Amino acid sequence: MSTYSVEVRKRITFIFFALFFVFFLLVLRLAYLQIIKGTWYQQKALENRIREIVVEPKRGDIYDRNGNELAVSINADACYAVPAEVKKAENVEEVARELAEILDMDQEKVYKLITQDQHSVWLKFKLTEEEVKKLREKNLPGIGTIPKPQRFYPKGNLASHVLGFAGDYNQGLEGIEVAFEEELAGINGYLLVEYDAAGHEIPESTKKYIEPEQGLSVVLTIDQTIQYIAERELDKIMQKHSPKRATILVMDPKTGEILALANKPDFNPNEFHKYGADVRRNGAVNDSYEPGSTFKIITLAAALEEGLTNPEERFNDPGFIEVDGERIHCWVQGGHGNQSLSEVVQNSCNPGFITLGMRLGTERLYKYIRGFGFGSTLGLELPGEATGIIVPEDQVKPVDLATISMGQTNSVTPLQMVTALSAVVNGGKLMKPYIVKELRNKDGDVVKTFQPQVIRQVISEETSKIERELLENVVTHGSGRNAYIEGYSVGGKTGTAQKPAPGGGYSSSDYIASFLGFAPVDDPRLVCLVVVDSPKGYPYYGGTVAAPAFREVVGDSLRYLGVPVRYDEKDKKSDEEMTTVPMVINLPVDEAEKILKDAGLQVERSGSGDIVYGQVPVDGIRVKIGSKVLLQLQKTEELQDGERIVPNIKGKSMRDAAELLGMIGLVLVPEGDPYPTGIAVEQSPAPGTKVPAGEQVRVKFKPPSAVEIAP
Amino acid sequence: MQLNKRLLKNLDYILIIDIIVILGLSLLVLSSATANITSDPLYFVKKHLISIILGIACAVFLLFFDYAKVVRYNNYIYALLIILLILVEIKGITSHGAQQWINIGPLNFQPSEFGKIMMIVCFASYLVKRQGELKTFKDLIPSFLYFSVPFLLIVAQPDLGTALVFIAILFGMLYLAGANPKLLAGILFTGVAVVTLALVLHFSPLNFPLPLEKHQLNRLIAFVDPYKDPHGAGWNIIQSLVAIGSGGLLGKGLYHGTQVQLNFLPEHHTDFIFSVVGEELGFVGAAFLLLLYYILIVRTIRTAFRSRDLLGRLLVGGIFSMWLFHIFENIGMAIGVMPITGIPLPFMSYGGTAMLTNLIAVGIILNVQLRREKMLF
Repeated sequence: MSTYSVEVRKRITFIFFALFFVFFLLVLRLAYLQIIKGTWYQQKALENRIREIVVEPKRGDIYDRNGNELAVSINADACYAVPAEVKKAENVEEVARELAEILDMDQEKVYKLITQDQHSVWLKFKLTEEEVKKLREKNLPGIGTIPKPQRFYPKGNLASHVLGFAGDYNQGLEGIEVAFEEELAGINGYLLVEYDAAGHEIPESTKKYIEPEQGLSVVLTIDQTIQYIAERELDKIMQKHSPKRATILVMDPKTGEILALANKPDFNPNEFHKYGADVRRNGAVNDSYEPGSTFKIITLAAALEEGLTNPEERFNDPGFIEVDGERIHCWVQGGHGNQSLSEVVQNSCNPGFITLGMRLGTERLYKYIRGFGFGSTLGLELPGEATGIIVPEDQVKPVDLATISMGQTNSVTPLQMVTALSAVVNGGKLMKPYIVKELRNKDGDVVKTFQPQVIRQVISEETSKIERELLENVVTHGSGRNAYIEGYSVGGKTGTAQKPAPGGGYSSSDYIASFLGFAPVDDPRLVCLVVVDSPKGYPYYGGTVAAPAFREVVGDSLRYLGVPVRYDEKDKKSDEEMTTVPMVINLPVDEAEKILKDAGLQVERSGSGDIVYGQVPVDGIRVKIGSKVLLQLQKTEELQDGERIVPNIKGKSMRDAAELLGMIGLVLVPEGDPYPTGIAVEQSPAPGTKVPAGEQVRVKFKPPSAVEIAP
Repeated sequence: MQLNKRLLKNLDYILIIDIIVILGLSLLVLSSATANITSDPLYFVKKHLISIILGIACAVFLLFFDYAKVVRYNNYIYALLIILLILVEIKGITSHGAQQWINIGPLNFQPSEFGKIMMIVCFASYLVKRQGELKTFKDLIPSFLYFSVPFLLIVAQPDLGTALVFIAILFGMLYLAGANPKLLAGILFTGVAVVTLALVLHFSPLNFPLPLEKHQLNRLIAFVDPYKDPHGAGWNIIQSLVAIGSGGLLGKGLYHGTQVQLNFLPEHHTDFIFSVVGEELGFVGAAFLLLLYYILIVRTIRTAFRSRDLLGRLLVGGIFSMWLFHIFENIGMAIGVMPITGIPLPFMSYGGTAMLTNLIAVGIILNVQLRREKMLF
């Protein structure tokens, strides 16, 4: 100790200081790593071991206004390949060949997919049971199936243009599916799973699960039954007239709610890849056409509102009218002669309407054209709404003003026409059209309700009332007779427009036949437009091609909605065609049938029994000869007010079933595997069940070949 | 020779307690680091404990002999060292690209671990004889030659880590033996300069050939930039930094270090045991361990200077150099300030031979303390 030399002391001191310094540096470094950068390294440690697994939310459903499922998400098997595993097969080509055969895919495409440099690839979605079974049997290397939530459209083609479709990855691509993508899609959830360095999941580790937020369900304003009726009528038009395409739109004029929107040809959203873009196009909203005479409704409304005419005013039609030195002919050779305004409307007289147009002048006519929503979008939720093409005001020459007054030159969308007529008949308010009624969360609670919105008041209540009556005359006495519906007052207007030819001018063979109408006249519940693009052969008039479809759609729909039937003496057609329904209640069935048949009526039985307990329509009602009378053979005394007895639907076609149920006030829900076609084979509730009015009756249809029909 | 009370009074109990605390900590940390390796979670802890008991027995046994007697067996120890190293070369078990193990009956051990202490013992005796003759470079040549035989055998294994420890021992002991510090610094500096130049030339377009294995070169590259090959050579350093850094101030708790328990941190019971301390016990634990090592080192060098003769000072000084290098290199690589070499952390890392060696070293230090005063009988 005391023996240390100075030299040694110096060395000791140096060593102690050096040691202290170096240890201090190590502590500093530790502090830097652990305290200053601690949080950063904690994140790194987390990233090391935690992997996120995306948990897909369930896509919201789409319902009709009564809660019927139109689009649902359910788990379906999907086929995937793990290319690294596939490679282990001796012959990858052979795997591709077998896969292509099972999945009905192109072999080369399959080969490319299964040899991609990726961890895994999807091969096909929504596999059939057969496909899954075959895949399991073959047990090909690296090929597997896994359930995946996928979109199903249980009603097949029904309302396909409204719904659109979601793609293989549940992403909305068209229609409501894309317009409400954000609401329907929901928000991804995550499963955080802990892995060790070798990539094994830690079994007892704490997993953090961030629940996916399920998508909201969309409730449409569409009524499945009215939609179905509209599509049924379109099918008939397609069959009978083979047009390029046809559209039916039904709106509630008081609210602007779209109750049915149908185009044909249509597509099955379950198999959307099989269809071209032209078929998937929603013509009712995305395409415009020259409306022809139906547009005269607008000219008339403008002239009435401006006080430039009245129903009693008389017009003379010599068969033509001269405008700016040019002669424009009436569609009737020789003209309609002397006629009242009401007759001008009934006859759809061109010189008459041109006269009204000239009185209005461009500025005033355009005020109403724009006022009724033409030339701009109306803000419907569906994608790709067209504006139509309106000739700019400053370019309108007198001849153009004349043709515009009778529905030529300008083009409009079906949606605009329906919205405009709704305004004309509802007391003059232009309603914003809408197709989504509410959004609901996964528990079914309403999170958002869409209310009717008035865009503007276009004409007065008074004008609206006058025009309703004028348009009613078109149906009772004029060109729209084919739109007449027994039991309801109907107003409307036919339209037959020549299509613009590709090289300019108008085609002499292609027409657009349409009918735009509403009912009942004094309290309009429905506005309906039927547009038939290029019907083949003769007749091609709106009155013959489109009006009957209007009659069926609106008639069935009003009955389905339970709108009270009312007969007015002045509405009656000629007595020869009509008859009064006799009273058959409490008579034995056979006798009742005989009486009805003698009266020229057909009989439809509901329930089983020997005595007639009820009849629809009731006695005293005037109906067309050949109409059906429904006989209820069940005791009705027990029925409370508003109760109905479910009739037997089995063996009926879908049309008859809809008609029968519609008459009683029940709702047909057609079902089928995969789509409802053919003849009813099952129903629920069973025949004879007592249900409240408006109740749904689910009926399963099968193509006739699959049904054994008793001889 | 007898151990009487008067001698025991000379023992440095601070050092003894310090080592006991380190050993206790090592058992604790090892129980966490090896919990998931075998079906018996305490398998490694038990083996570790056996090595400790065996090592303490050896250390106590050594106390009965005056360290001065070692000079008599100097040449035998030197010969045994060389024979063992040659044996490894011939019969050794290859591990991690180097032959470091040999089996004798049921035991297998690493002669290079024992080699360090044997080298210290012979070199101390050798230097005592050359006392006062270490002034010039020429004076140092015989010492270098004496040292180079075992050293080159170690390099040939190749065991770069131990070779570096040998260099640390060589210079530390020469310094304490009174060699000219400026001369030693010059030699060391020249050596480092040559190695650096060789490395620079190697990585330059000249591609100068180096007597190094590929994995050793990769470790050097990874030290400079671990993210160049984050899943290869850089993996260990990155995972070690993440382990220590993510431990934060107080650590994740024993048995709760994710880097350790999920095996992201490799070799966590041997070379990277310090990272386990950092992750599970945090800055507080790691700094505490550094403090324990600081006490160990300081008390050791204090012993060296308080020894009764040059032999005692050189013996303890050699051990001091060995431990200092082990601690700095091992902890340095764990915290990313030194390149990775496979050198265990004294008393903490799992490894029987190393534990025995270190406890024998403790025995030698205590022996020197016991007899620090000339006995006056």
